[in-house]
Amino acid sequence: MKREWNRNAIVYIFLIPVIIHFIVFQIYPFLLSFYLTFMDWKVIGDPEFVGVKHWQHFLSDKLAWKALWNTVMFSVYYIIPTMALGLILALIINSGVKMAGFFKGVFFLPVVTSFVIIAGIWGWLFGGTEAGMINYLISFIGIEPQLFLANSSQALAVLAGLSIFKVGGSTMIYYFAGLQSIDKQLYEAARIDGASAIKIFWKVTFPLLKPIHFYVAITTTIGSFQIFDSAYLLTGGGPNYATTTIVYYLYEQGFTGLNLSYAAVLSYVLFAIILVISLIQRKYLGQESKHY
Amino acid sequence: MRKFKFLIVFILVGLLLVACDDGKKDEKTDGEKKPVSGDDGKLSGEITVWAHPFTADQEVEGKMWEEIIASYEDATGVKVNFEQIPWANRDQKVLTALAANNGPDVFYVIPDQMPQYADAGMLLSLDQYLEGFDIEDFVDTALVSTTWKDELYGLPILQEAYTYFYNVDVVKDIGEDPENLPATWEEFEKWAEKAKEKGYYATSFQGGGSMNGTLYPFLWQAGGQVVTEDNEVLLNNEAGVEAFEFINKMYEKGWIPEDSITAMEHNALWDGGKMLAVQGSGNSVSRMLDQDLFEFVIAPPMKNKEQLTYGTTGMFVAPINTDNPAAAAEFIKIVTNTDNQKKFNTVTQYIPTRESAKDIFSENKYLEQLAGYTQYALPGVIHPEGRTIMPMIQAELQTMLEGNKTPKQAADDAAAAVESKMGN
Repeated sequence: MKREWNRNAIVYIFLIPVIIHFIVFQIYPFLLSFYLTFMDWKVIGDPEFVGVKHWQHFLSDKLAWKALWNTVMFSVYYIIPTMALGLILALIINSGVKMAGFFKGVFFLPVVTSFVIIAGIWGWLFGGTEAGMINYLISFIGIEPQLFLANSSQALAVLAGLSIFKVGGSTMIYYFAGLQSIDKQLYEAARIDGASAIKIFWKVTFPLLKPIHFYVAITTTIGSFQIFDSAYLLTGGGPNYATTTIVYYLYEQGFTGLNLSYAAVLSYVLFAIILVISLIQRKYLGQESKHY
Repeated sequence: MRKFKFLIVFILVGLLLVACDDGKKDEKTDGEKKPVSGDDGKLSGEITVWAHPFTADQEVEGKMWEEIIASYEDATGVKVNFEQIPWANRDQKVLTALAANNGPDVFYVIPDQMPQYADAGMLLSLDQYLEGFDIEDFVDTALVSTTWKDELYGLPILQEAYTYFYNVDVVKDIGEDPENLPATWEEFEKWAEKAKEKGYYATSFQGGGSMNGTLYPFLWQAGGQVVTEDNEVLLNNEAGVEAFEFINKMYEKGWIPEDSITAMEHNALWDGGKMLAVQGSGNSVSRMLDQDLFEFVIAPPMKNKEQLTYGTTGMFVAPINTDNPAAAAEFIKIVTNTDNQKKFNTVTQYIPTRESAKDIFSENKYLEQLAGYTQYALPGVIHPEGRTIMPMIQAELQTMLEGNKTPKQAADDAAAAVESKMGN
């Protein structure tokens, strides 16, 4: 113990503040909220022990399952398009196009703009009346005005579009960094071998970006399961719960309904889902592998 | 591996420290209790008051609070620590502070919070402090929201009344008289039909927003009610179905915009002169006067069987775990007395809840008019589950507007959803 301390004292000294912070603000709330799932907590007063009542309620709560399903659908609409958009934007600015810095700034702008403002603009673009911007544009190609956020089969996709627009810029930066780190010699060799640009992309660029794919896939997946603000700002979870995601439902239960114990159950369900997905992604995407 | 073990030990020790620390803190707060009023009826010590920013001009508002607080401190000798809390996430702030036992002694709430808090046993009943108090001066509808199960938990300081504002240009364009506005559903329907023919929307409908601005006023006007204090759900009785039908008719006939199902606002349509009328209150008056886009007139709340509308009430309450309940109750009484209500509502442009304070708007005819309507303004559903059931009813209303349910089905299903919640 003493030798260990002598050798690594400096490390522990630097770690102590971080670990204390981690314990107080992460581990302690984490354990406390787990304890809370077995209680009925009225905020003031002593919590009452109710066993697995809240967990049982979750199993039979149709709305919670609908919220989970909505969240999964949101991920479907969101993850791949966000990655694709980020990659395409990164390829554009990496291609040596003129004013690449300018485009980088433009593409990145939604990321640094307040979500509330972006959501306001999105709501205005996708207004469900004839006066809505997108409805106005599609009227030129003969499409009837759409309800967008007021239609239970379109609303979730419109919200996913908002998130893609908002996050695309930051995935672009990750992919751009990844593209920059690919050895130029590999491209030269491929070209000498007579590979076409498309073939080079699929055989060289795309596989070598695997660590970036992994990182972006994890972060967008986690992000998509935590989606809350767009539903809160634009649809209020409607129409008919079509945009009620698991975090929105959790918020409603916890902070509107003061049903904090049940909200804690939902947060554990969410935690378990994100954990499992991350582990699966890690297994299939995350292995370090050499391609050459 | 040893390093890992060390880390585990370290984290466990840390957790232990956190747990112990928690205990110590509790002892400390118990040991260092703030000075409180004695049993002899004389007030002393100090109280903490939480309120929110009610206006944009913080300088004027700050001065107003200084005067109001001085009037209390002079009368009681109790010191006030006034803290302004932002509106955002105020629920969480109040709840976490109260749970940690270091919350305010007096704070501001709106009607849907009150019964929820009161039912959870979080609020101090004021009845014992109100002997000989002139409660009759308060507007009846304002006291509705401060009372839960026959006990009074707060005193109201402000009220609002939502009613229809009409665009005078549009009224004239459809060949009607702005001096003679619709007073009943039937009259409104006629105007709406004419507006539609001329290419206007009759009114706004914010289906994604609070039901207080959508279904509830129509439900009350039809003579209905959402749920009683005794958990009896009345949503799908005759009056309830009539309200659902009326809204469905407005949507099917195109009197309200197509996106009304989830819309949160229709400001662009109203400001752009494409709408006959919108529901508005005192805030809307200030906004309309500032923007000065077109002339508007205000109609009295509509009537079908009853003449009623929505209007929030703002009140001050005290938590059950206040250290100084007598001083907190006295603060609530003084902050809502006639003089202070006049000061407060002159600055914030809300409507006083005391009849004797209502003479402050002689220079603003619109607010003076609205002040006369607070007697019709109900504060929403006063029930601990008021906020939880709202999304359930909203979902059914949205399903109906999407054309997937008839009004009767939607009302029945909404009632069933609310009933199952009450059964919990």
